[in-house]
Amino acid sequence: MSTAAPTVSLPTDVVRSPATRTGQLQQFWGLFARELIKTFRNPWVIVITLVQPFMWLAFFGGMMSELPTAELDTFLLHAPPGTSYLSFLLPGVLATGMMSIGMFGSMSTIQDKRFGFMKRILITPTSKATVYLAKALGAAMRGLVQIPVMIVAALAFGVQLHGDPLGWLAWIVGLVLLGLGFAAFFLAITASSTDWQTPGVISNFITMPLMFASGAMFPTAIYPSWMRAIADVNPVGYSAALSRDVMTFNQFTVTDLTYLGYLAIFAAAMVLIGTLVASRYLRVE
Amino acid sequence: MSADGLAISVHGLTKTYGRLVAVDHIDMSIPTGSIFGLLGPNGAGKTTTIKLLTGITDITDGSATVAGFDVRREPMSVKQRVGWVAAEVILDDDLSGWENLWLQAQLQRLSDWKGRADQLLKYFELSDRRKDKVGTYSTGMRKKMEIALALLHEPEVIFMDEPTIGLDANVRRMLWDLITGVNRSFGVTVLLTSHYIEEADALCDRVAIIDQGRIVVTGSPSELKSRVKEDFIELETSESVTQEKLAAIPGVSEVRSQGRAWVLRVASAEEVLPAVFHALKTDGIRRINVEKPSLESVFIDITGKRIDQGGSDVPDYRKFYANLRRAQR
Ligand SMILES: Nc1ncnc2c1ncn2[C@@H]1O[C@H](COP(=O)(O)OP(=O)(O)O)[C@@H](O)[C@H]1O
Ligand SMILES: [Mg+2]
Repeated sequence: MSTAAPTVSLPTDVVRSPATRTGQLQQFWGLFARELIKTFRNPWVIVITLVQPFMWLAFFGGMMSELPTAELDTFLLHAPPGTSYLSFLLPGVLATGMMSIGMFGSMSTIQDKRFGFMKRILITPTSKATVYLAKALGAAMRGLVQIPVMIVAALAFGVQLHGDPLGWLAWIVGLVLLGLGFAAFFLAITASSTDWQTPGVISNFITMPLMFASGAMFPTAIYPSWMRAIADVNPVGYSAALSRDVMTFNQFTVTDLTYLGYLAIFAAAMVLIGTLVASRYLRVE
Repeated sequence: MSADGLAISVHGLTKTYGRLVAVDHIDMSIPTGSIFGLLGPNGAGKTTTIKLLTGITDITDGSATVAGFDVRREPMSVKQRVGWVAAEVILDDDLSGWENLWLQAQLQRLSDWKGRADQLLKYFELSDRRKDKVGTYSTGMRKKMEIALALLHEPEVIFMDEPTIGLDANVRRMLWDLITGVNRSFGVTVLLTSHYIEEADALCDRVAIIDQGRIVVTGSPSELKSRVKEDFIELETSESVTQEKLAAIPGVSEVRSQGRAWVLRVASAEEVLPAVFHALKTDGIRRINVEKPSLESVFIDITGKRIDQGGSDVPDYRKFYANLRRAQR
């Protein structure tokens, strides 16, 4: 490094030109883009996001496919003949995968706090709510990476996919809403945390019950009544049911629109609560 | 800029963490365009003061006006007008230098920033590395990048927390030039914290010495230095010595104990040292240190401690004494 005094001095008009200020959307966009850039520059993030659902399909699906056809018929109630368990499982795995992306959003927030970058953000006129929303939406977007890969993987496993474009759109929007809702939820409960372990602990705690009590892996018809009660309010199940109707059963109906509505309410409620919580409790010390 | 010509004005500013009082009723008035130094040992409350003045941490008590706005009531207006250089250099290592500037521009809601960013990169000699991830920059480059970020939105006040900590002597000198340069060519008021005496002495128009959350004295470096006329001798021995024994040494006007060390106030260290060595011949002097009038001795005068604990310890007093005599010639 050179130790000479800088030779270039700033022309005064550059120094004092009035800086134009635009709206809050710009701050949101900056932070949101940063989330995306950081996600897609880290190969491990991509690998893990992609491999996890793929392993579900391979191991769980592989195991279940060996069941006698009579048992499988219970699972594949109302499915067109020849439908495999894999095609039943695929929508469920995608929905379940959206739960864990919330954890990653929390972890990246805690990393920013630990490395001090949150201070750099909050020393600018950026509101905590904006920081929170950028993190939540950034995490939800990251979940979208799973979708094309899962579909390719499912096709490779010999699954036949159906569905009309409108149904597919509803299904993908539903997944984004689910991911956004969970990301918002995680970020809200970890708003004041600076401990790396917290998101993982919470994730372990909620993922398992919500996954099984959802109809993502098995039809809810075979559940005991208390589990079915959880499944009735569990957004994971609604997302799985929506995508299953579209992709597996090829029947996109008004019921599916109500599922989508439910997911929208879930996401909106989580984002609203989370914004309030984060404005108050998001901390850097 | 505020009407009273002050960039920062602080009254009774206080911050407590539980029972710990990190910043204890401090008052400061910092004129626009000056370089003001907050000098104090580790844990004195310097960083906390910056956090309070930039609105990152809630103020427990008291008030602060920065760049003409009340920090409590209008934190966003303050944040729009201040820049910040962290002691630990905080950048996004996954992003390039240019991307870091871009993000800063978004967060400060600038629309017309690219020309200025270019100029800053040139000024800090970073232009050819702008596309590289900042994780690959050297320590000095990272520091300069951080200052560039802090200046991007044309702040009126810039806070620099221990700007040269952990940098080697060359880079430190270069940064000193940069800080004065930034202050002059950008007209920015600088509040810097430091626990390096020479740094505050070399850079600051005015200095406040802070200890245990309290400002113990404020003034220009030369004013402060003229407060203390005597020298201090600090020493530690392996055998225990009594206060009386030290006070009896001819030329020693005051003896204070400071943990396991002693601080002697003397008119002239050079004249008293032979007597000190003679008196303590059998006590095994382990460490001895002379402080001529300086900001350090002002601090010793008031608190009985050194600011810079990593000061010039001399384990071998013979060598030290030889050097001192050589220096006198
Ligand atoms: N977030 C915090 N929680 C609790 N104590 C803190 C916190 N930040 C600083 N302190 C305490 O406040 C005091 C002042 O710290 P600081 O301002 O960082 O000192 P300096 O920057 O002068 O070295 C120290 O005793 C420190 O331990
Ligand atoms: Mg500090």
